[in-house]
Amino acid sequence: MLEYVLLSFKADWSRALMSGLGIIIGVISIVALLSVGQGLYGGVSEQFGDFDMDLVSVRPGSGMGMGPGERPASTPEEPAEFDEKDVKIIDNVVGVEDVYPLKTSRALLSFRGDNASVSVIGILPDNHNDLKDVVARGRFLANSDYKAAVVSHDIAEDFFRMDISPGNQIRLYLTEEDRYMDFKVVGVLEEDEDPSYASNTCIYITHKAMDDFLDVDEYHYDSITVRAEDATLVEALAEEIEKEISRIHRDEAYNVEALSTRFESVLEVLNMIKYALAGIGSISLIVGAIGIYNVMTLTVKERTHEIGVMKAIGATTWDIRTLFLLDAGMLGLASSLVGILLGTLASDFVGSVAGIPQEVTLQSVAFGLLFGVLITTVAGIYPANKAAMLDPIEALRAE
Amino acid sequence: MSLVEIAGLEKGYRVGEIDVPVLKGIDLGIDEGEFVALMGPSGCGKSTLMNILGCLDRPSKGRVLLKGQDLSHLSDRNLARIRRDEIGFVFQSFNLIGRMSNLKNVELPMTLKETARGIRRDRARELLESVGLAHRLDYSPSNLSGGERQRVAIARALANDPSIILADEPTGNLDEKSTNEIMDIMYQLNKEGHTIIMVTHDIETTKHCSRVVWMRDGLVQEVTS
Repeated sequence: MLEYVLLSFKADWSRALMSGLGIIIGVISIVALLSVGQGLYGGVSEQFGDFDMDLVSVRPGSGMGMGPGERPASTPEEPAEFDEKDVKIIDNVVGVEDVYPLKTSRALLSFRGDNASVSVIGILPDNHNDLKDVVARGRFLANSDYKAAVVSHDIAEDFFRMDISPGNQIRLYLTEEDRYMDFKVVGVLEEDEDPSYASNTCIYITHKAMDDFLDVDEYHYDSITVRAEDATLVEALAEEIEKEISRIHRDEAYNVEALSTRFESVLEVLNMIKYALAGIGSISLIVGAIGIYNVMTLTVKERTHEIGVMKAIGATTWDIRTLFLLDAGMLGLASSLVGILLGTLASDFVGSVAGIPQEVTLQSVAFGLLFGVLITTVAGIYPANKAAMLDPIEALRAE
Repeated sequence: MSLVEIAGLEKGYRVGEIDVPVLKGIDLGIDEGEFVALMGPSGCGKSTLMNILGCLDRPSKGRVLLKGQDLSHLSDRNLARIRRDEIGFVFQSFNLIGRMSNLKNVELPMTLKETARGIRRDRARELLESVGLAHRLDYSPSNLSGGERQRVAIARALANDPSIILADEPTGNLDEKSTNEIMDIMYQLNKEGHTIIMVTHDIETTKHCSRVVWMRDGLVQEVTS
């Protein structure tokens, strides 16, 4: 049987090529689009990396409606106010590695007559094991420091004509208020390749200094960032923290969110984009299937006499149907393989020309192959049945 | 028991609202080893009778037994099996498949029977050699003369060693020389024991036949020996 099918390919290679063309193009687009989609997916997940997958963010809520991860509020609530007590409570939750209470403000940094706008972050220095490890020059802050500051890489090296070094004096102006405070730089950080809650354009001071600098009535943290001991358990940890916080801040608005949740929803969207792209590719595959159907219907017509002969010498309905389905299936297989090859080349080409990341995975190849063969075979069912049901006597009369 | 037993065979076709009877009650027995010629004017029902004997069509009424098996009520699938295993067709227009070599054409009935590749190749070669076409194995039928094509068709008819050969005007498209060659082969096959039923218009071709069945208007008119 297979031999007979191969024979018909050999005799009719131009027909095979023409009818297979649609499938080839369809598989090319599926493989190429899936690969580009996969590349985007991979590229983005790499961008996110693993640096903040282990962080939980605790923030006061707006008290109005629901932000992402914000717990539902039936009545407008006051935003929660976080202080040392909350830090202690969170620190006692099992699975917490570090707790970073943060207070951020914009300020104007003045250094040797030049000014630049920066972020000033009030921190609890002893908790920041992460930052201690990235001090390039000088030392990190200690809890006992007062008018001391640690400057991040870009500010120290790029913002001013002269680099800021440990020992230098800087002045911070509180934006829009006529108040300033002088600090002594004690350390400069390394460049952070993957800035997360911190950035390369901020200055770290202690909460005590921040409190005096801002001169507010009540000093509360803007946010508390929590690092989990085990990144894989970060979501469970977020729930645990939420439970602890709710004891004190009942009826107040806040939200606790594992940063990875946000990342996952981005990936989810990308995944959808990937399959949407594949769906677009499938459209050309369907057009290809219509082509196959047409050519096969034509073939059955052309070979009516031959089918009659085969039936006369003993082919069953089943034999003829199998023959034509095998014909379609083989065509689909051959076309899909060509399509996969060309699709791989195409996605390489698109990737390098457009600078889009692309990644040909086993999944996209399997997808292309499966759909190519399946759709071709399905397109062949009707013509194959028609051929199989031909009356041998009438088929023999046809010429 | 006869190889073929036909009793009260009727066959009609419905054309629009009217039933057109083609065979009107045929009784005929054919023994193993016979060489029977079927003659009669066009439209007398010879081809319809051949189609029913060849399991391509079913009787409307009556019985047709082949080796004691009633063909009237078999499923399509079983009829196809009988065509494959018990019947060898030789057509007027040869009906070879032009895309395939002569060897493949002869192999085809064995391919349908799922005979092992080596066995069917050897047998196809032998059969083609026996009809004098050893030098044409890999040619396409379209490169052969009419007489040669019919010899390929005969080789194909013999592929599965059928119990009966049905030849529908096998020399109808051939010149005199080829006709003689083909009839010699048919006679030879009959001498080797093959049962042959042949439709013909040419009385010359019946000289080796054991019987000539004359049909007219859907009935057997006369049988001469």
